[in-house]
Amino acid sequence: MSLRIVPTKATPSTTTTSYGAPSAPGIHDTLRSNLSLTTGTSSTPSPVTSSHPLEARLTRWRATQDALKMEGLRRMYGIAEPIRRGMELRITGMGEWRPLALGASACVHSDILNGRDAEVGWEDVFTGGEMMDLPDFHSEMEGRMRMNW
Amino acid sequence: MGGFDFSNHSRNAALHAQGFPLPTATSTGTTIVGCLFDGGVVIAADTRATSGPIVADKNCEKLHFITPQIWCAGAGTAADTEFTTSLISSNLELHSLSTGRQPRVVTCMTMLKQHLFRYQGHIGAYLVVAGCDPTGAHLFTVHAHGSTDKLPYVTMGSGSLAAMSVFETAWKGNMTRQGAVDLCSEAIKAGIFNDLGSGSNVDVCIITPEKATLLRNHITPNEREKKMRDYRFKKGTTAVLNQKIITRADISKYVTVHELDDGTPVAAEKMDVDT
Repeated sequence: MSLRIVPTKATPSTTTTSYGAPSAPGIHDTLRSNLSLTTGTSSTPSPVTSSHPLEARLTRWRATQDALKMEGLRRMYGIAEPIRRGMELRITGMGEWRPLALGASACVHSDILNGRDAEVGWEDVFTGGEMMDLPDFHSEMEGRMRMNW
Repeated sequence: MGGFDFSNHSRNAALHAQGFPLPTATSTGTTIVGCLFDGGVVIAADTRATSGPIVADKNCEKLHFITPQIWCAGAGTAADTEFTTSLISSNLELHSLSTGRQPRVVTCMTMLKQHLFRYQGHIGAYLVVAGCDPTGAHLFTVHAHGSTDKLPYVTMGSGSLAAMSVFETAWKGNMTRQGAVDLCSEAIKAGIFNDLGSGSNVDVCIITPEKATLLRNHITPNEREKKMRDYRFKKGTTAVLNQKIITRADISKYVTVHELDDGTPVAAEKMDVDT
């Protein structure tokens, strides 16, 4: 477990070195390594990852900060403390569900346990759900109970 | 979900790869300054809002309220400074309700820098934070990437060099309230007259432990002159030759809708792009 404060960069920081030709070190040996000049075999092309550098940072921001906090607690009090907090969070999370048709849950209890009860961010203002039409109560309940087979 | 939306990034990258020009970066222009004095702090700003070469607003407000005792001057992207300061204002109010104490200026500065650092400068908010709290009067600058300064007098924005020259010339320690207001106004006026991105009037906010006073349009050095001549014609200069009254009518009998056949190209609207 690391004590990272900010998420790692999504872009690769290292590349694998390809071996050069034995007769001419430092020159790419096309015949030995691959027929194409790019790294990675042509049969399994690497997936195209074209995302904004900020996107990965923002999506993993909270998780990284929580992991840091839990790691600190683990080192100070032992593994029991993060486990207890995780269980408390899970219990409150199960108890505070509210149907989407009624405006979803405000997550007050888990916010307090997370220490975020006095915080408001861009996500709270621009929820991004304006264009979506909400599922009705019955289909939401079927999804929760895994009855929509 | 929520927050910033990156769904168009791949599309934009693909368009750019096909030779579609990127939107040009807009340089922003502002002069904002701040200065500590004995028993308080003053911040000041010009009032010009630009969008590229166009003056979008001649009398905009760049001093933002955060708490009654903490104010903030913003340079950079206007919407970002506006939204970031109001978000931090809400956060700080929640924080002070939670702790039951008057919010401190360092708390505000830390919240701002942590918030801006998370977005890696993509939120273009360059701020001067000033305020009074139980620990005294404080003045900070926060850059868009999250770096901060704590100085007795600060300037920011494109006119910061002109304004700083005034401070470097005339600033003295232990200033009086009026002296600090005058010095800040002079610095902003230097920015107004020497920097093309800054202009119009001088806004000043004086914060003391008792109260904050916002002096909107404290100095107006660019009053619009009255035009020397009036080019408007008197009513009735042009004679009315005839008069025809057109009433609104149902247009469905004039307009018909018909399907286009597949072969003809459809002239869609073209997008205007800065090159």
